[in-house]
Amino acid sequence: MLRTALAGLRAHRLRLLLTALAILLGVGFIAGTFVLNDTVQAAFSQRVTADADKVDVAVLPRDAHAVLPARLLDRIRALDGVTDAQGLVRGPAPLLGRDGKTVGSLPTTALSVVRGPLDRTNVVSGTGPGTDDHAAVLDENTAKAQGFRIGDTITVLDHERGEHRFELVGLIDTGVDQMLAVTGALGFTPATTQRLTGAKGYREIDVAGDAPGLERAVAAAAGPGHVVKTGDELAADLARAAGVEARSFTLALLLFGIVAMMVAALVIYNTFNILVAQRTREMALLRCVGATRAQVFGSILLESAVVGALASALGLLAGYGLAALALTVLGVFDTPLPTDATASLTPATMAIGLAVGLLVTVGAAVLPARAATRVPPIAALRAQVEEPAFRTGLPRLIVSGLLLVAGLGTTAAGVLMFDPGQLSLVVVVAGGALTFLAVLILGPVLVKPLSAVVGRLPARLFGVPGRLAVENAARNPGRAATTTVALTIGVTLMTLISVVTASTRTTMTAQLDAQFPIDYLLAGQERDPVVPRAVAAELRRRPELSSVVQIREVRATVAGRRVDVGTYSGPITPAVASGSMTGFGPGQVALNESTARDLGARVGDSLSLQTAEAGRVALRVTALLDGSQSSLPPVTVAEGPFDRYFGAVPDTMVMVNAKDGVPPEQARKLVDAAAANYPVVQVTSSTEVRGEFDETLDMVLMIVTGLLGLAILISLLGIANTLSLSVHERTRESALLRALGLTRRQLRGMLSIEALVLGLIGALVGVVLGGVFGWAAMMAMLADAAYSLPVPQVVLFVLLSGLAGVLAAVLPARRAARASIVDSLATG
Amino acid sequence: MTLTDNRHQAPPAVVATDLTKVYGQGDAVVHALRGVNVAFATGAFTAIMGPSGSGKSTLMHCLAGLDAATSGTVHVGDVELTALDDRRLTRLRRERIGFVFQSFNLLPTLTAEQNIRLPLEIASRQADQPLFDRVIDTVGLRNRLSHRPAELSGGQQQRVAVARALISKPQVIFADEPTGNLDSRSGAEILSFLRTSVRELGQTIVMVTHDPVAASYADRVVFLRDGELVTELATPTPQSVLDTLVKLEA
Ligand SMILES: Nc1ncnc2c1ncn2[C@@H]1O[C@H](COP(=O)(O)OP(=O)(O)O)[C@@H](O)[C@H]1O
Ligand SMILES: [Mg+2]
Repeated sequence: MLRTALAGLRAHRLRLLLTALAILLGVGFIAGTFVLNDTVQAAFSQRVTADADKVDVAVLPRDAHAVLPARLLDRIRALDGVTDAQGLVRGPAPLLGRDGKTVGSLPTTALSVVRGPLDRTNVVSGTGPGTDDHAAVLDENTAKAQGFRIGDTITVLDHERGEHRFELVGLIDTGVDQMLAVTGALGFTPATTQRLTGAKGYREIDVAGDAPGLERAVAAAAGPGHVVKTGDELAADLARAAGVEARSFTLALLLFGIVAMMVAALVIYNTFNILVAQRTREMALLRCVGATRAQVFGSILLESAVVGALASALGLLAGYGLAALALTVLGVFDTPLPTDATASLTPATMAIGLAVGLLVTVGAAVLPARAATRVPPIAALRAQVEEPAFRTGLPRLIVSGLLLVAGLGTTAAGVLMFDPGQLSLVVVVAGGALTFLAVLILGPVLVKPLSAVVGRLPARLFGVPGRLAVENAARNPGRAATTTVALTIGVTLMTLISVVTASTRTTMTAQLDAQFPIDYLLAGQERDPVVPRAVAAELRRRPELSSVVQIREVRATVAGRRVDVGTYSGPITPAVASGSMTGFGPGQVALNESTARDLGARVGDSLSLQTAEAGRVALRVTALLDGSQSSLPPVTVAEGPFDRYFGAVPDTMVMVNAKDGVPPEQARKLVDAAAANYPVVQVTSSTEVRGEFDETLDMVLMIVTGLLGLAILISLLGIANTLSLSVHERTRESALLRALGLTRRQLRGMLSIEALVLGLIGALVGVVLGGVFGWAAMMAMLADAAYSLPVPQVVLFVLLSGLAGVLAAVLPARRAARASIVDSLATG
Repeated sequence: MTLTDNRHQAPPAVVATDLTKVYGQGDAVVHALRGVNVAFATGAFTAIMGPSGSGKSTLMHCLAGLDAATSGTVHVGDVELTALDDRRLTRLRRERIGFVFQSFNLLPTLTAEQNIRLPLEIASRQADQPLFDRVIDTVGLRNRLSHRPAELSGGQQQRVAVARALISKPQVIFADEPTGNLDSRSGAEILSFLRTSVRELGQTIVMVTHDPVAASYADRVVFLRDGELVTELATPTPQSVLDTLVKLEA
């Protein structure tokens, strides 16, 4: 039987090639994801190991926001066996860019650069600050982005926003610290760092020494309020923290890998089904000469196992190559990942890749193999393999009908009965899965009517070849359905993601319009009250501006909870959800709806507010505000009372509108001028905000679409496979048509149209499913979500799917057209 | 009716000159045709006979433009087939030649009527409705037109194939063992239809067969042996054909 299976493989080498390619791609993607993750994680731990080798024991505060007192450092230094101990200072110290404004949306992080064996700074060019309190080092990426070079003078703000100038003496690599990669990093002498950040202690104390029991001695000195780690433990923790993002990235990639494998499974299932159908006589002959059902079953599974194993092994290689390529690409863009490491293929990756490939292949071949055992020996004697007549069958209709009702019902319940959020989304996903199952089972029934609809135009345009092609597309509904469903998966997800991004865009734009109906926003990096009131006063004097609104916020205690309490000044219409703000004044407060829920407060209730300068005051709730429509503070009081309660705090933000007809450049210039003297005040225009938002969405859409491309590619292999197997089956038919006067071109065209119809059917179903579930997903994720169907995009998907189908038909069609008429007539 | 006269005056429908066909190379070389010269009269029913492997099918394929000869020429009417590229050859088949094969004559997805009209539709030509009706009635398919091949018997399927060949009024119909797969009664029916179409419609038919009874329906039988035309019979009977065959194989 083994010999029969292998002979079968050899005979169908070509036909199995596309199947193998489908498995190869799926396994390659999954293995590549693992290789990428392993490599990045290995590189992370390699880097921190080098650092941690220098440290024998580290002391950290138990609470991540707390600091270690200087006394502790002195105590540790005094311990026996300690050769060196250094405290690390770390805190925000905004760097000013060449425009005199703070850099980025988060303040730059300042680090102390210690001297001696415990120095963990990685200086890549120039030198460290040494003992020079006027020297600084800066991370390479920020230096490059801001155009600073060694020898330049840089300006840094201290915690009281005083400006300090330093000479840039070196550039550093921030290593694995993901936080520093985001904020950027500055390094100074420990004294300077302390002075700039105003830190009251150390974030970490590193200890070097080789006495046995050093860790215990340090722990004893530190006392119970601190965490003491060995160098190795520290390294492991750092590597883990650094790898968290890489791991969630891996997880996301794996999801796409799973989708690809699902599509591959459909392709494999279809191929084996067709192969079995074509080999009916061979199977029957085997049964005639005495093979048992089990042997027939086994021979087909064995065939699939060999294909699966070979393709998975190649897939591992492909995955390795893919990961290496990804590392190179990531290296070109400045990603905060260590991309210089060489890709590594671990035994675990190999085991997983092979297992997944093998299981999916053999699993997909089980049903076809069972079908093969049902071939009666007598079939060997039948002259011609008959066309399998497809009957819809009541059970199929009932099962798929029930599934469809259950799926749509679940989806509707997820949207209607749950508040938007994770739970709602999970329910919608479950509904989607059920619906998809229904479509999968119903597929063969849908193929005929759909191909008639889709094929109407081609049949009319291309005459006989067109009509025959449309007939052929739906000729074997089971086969056509499986082929197209593979494509449907990819198109569904693509449509879904474009619906979700388009709807998010619409929703956010609407919310931005409501919340941020302004041209310019002036604010600090961290939503602190840092905008001097003089800025707004200056802006109000400009006739080119139509409105200037100030928002002021401080943290305060309301009814025992820490919340943002603030006020506003200027022409703004609060979005009142209930109550009223007319005559808003002393003794009154307006709450955001969500804050009111947290506080358990309703209109008419009384709240007590702990103020900085007026002690405890009682306030009556007069209005609730719609949070999605309002840019007012969560707890809003009138301007006069606010100043009395908290003193003359600066504004948190100033919102500016230009008069109609004032050119944007002119408006921008005068807004910039008003903020020019205050480095911490950043000016943002709403067009910039929207642009960034749009870019982010576009990026997400592009990446997801790219990753789904793999699933689409595999499903196209499926179309090519089905077509070439069908072409093989219809060799004599094609020859007959050629004899009757169909040209080679017309024959090729006929197969292209068949593929076009298959592609269009798959895409249409996908677009409908994606459109519906994109809507459901939006409703499940966001309250008041707007729905937007990106019609051009969706039309493009459908057209591209059709085109891709035609491309998939190129090779099978060429084979069919090349075949000699006489030889083909003789076959069978 | 003077169709019989016409047959002698009109130029031949198909002419082969020094036709050779070689398969394979080196040791495996097979000379399927070795310089065949033959002409098939317009409006006549000619049978090609010979022992199995003598080159009958090969000759028919080369005459019908389904296969390329190694050397020599074939003319259908005034067109030299052997000089045409695939596209022109296909067009010529479509416009001037009809086929009836031994088996697998019909597209399983099409009804009998659609199968019959297929060549006309491929050629984007209108069916000659009176001819269509006449042919359908002659072959007795009127109430089978909407059936698919799977629902027809072997004899009915061959009748559909004959109707299809006739409906486009080709210059010549080639039939390769059209009765090979049929019982003798269905076979006799098909052969009568072929002969009737020659008599009544003036259709030219060239039929390959190895059955002396089938050959006796023809006006003339040409005999092949080892790729060469060896002899021919006019107005054959089953007995005279059988005698000639026996002589050939001796
Ligand atoms: N495609 C082919 N390749 C090689 N030899 C062939 C091929 N087709 C036919 N032959 C050989 O050519 C000779 C004539 O075949 P054929 O025309 O089919 O004979 P017939 O139809 O009279 O039985 C035979 O010897 C046959 O083996
Ligand atoms: Mg033959």
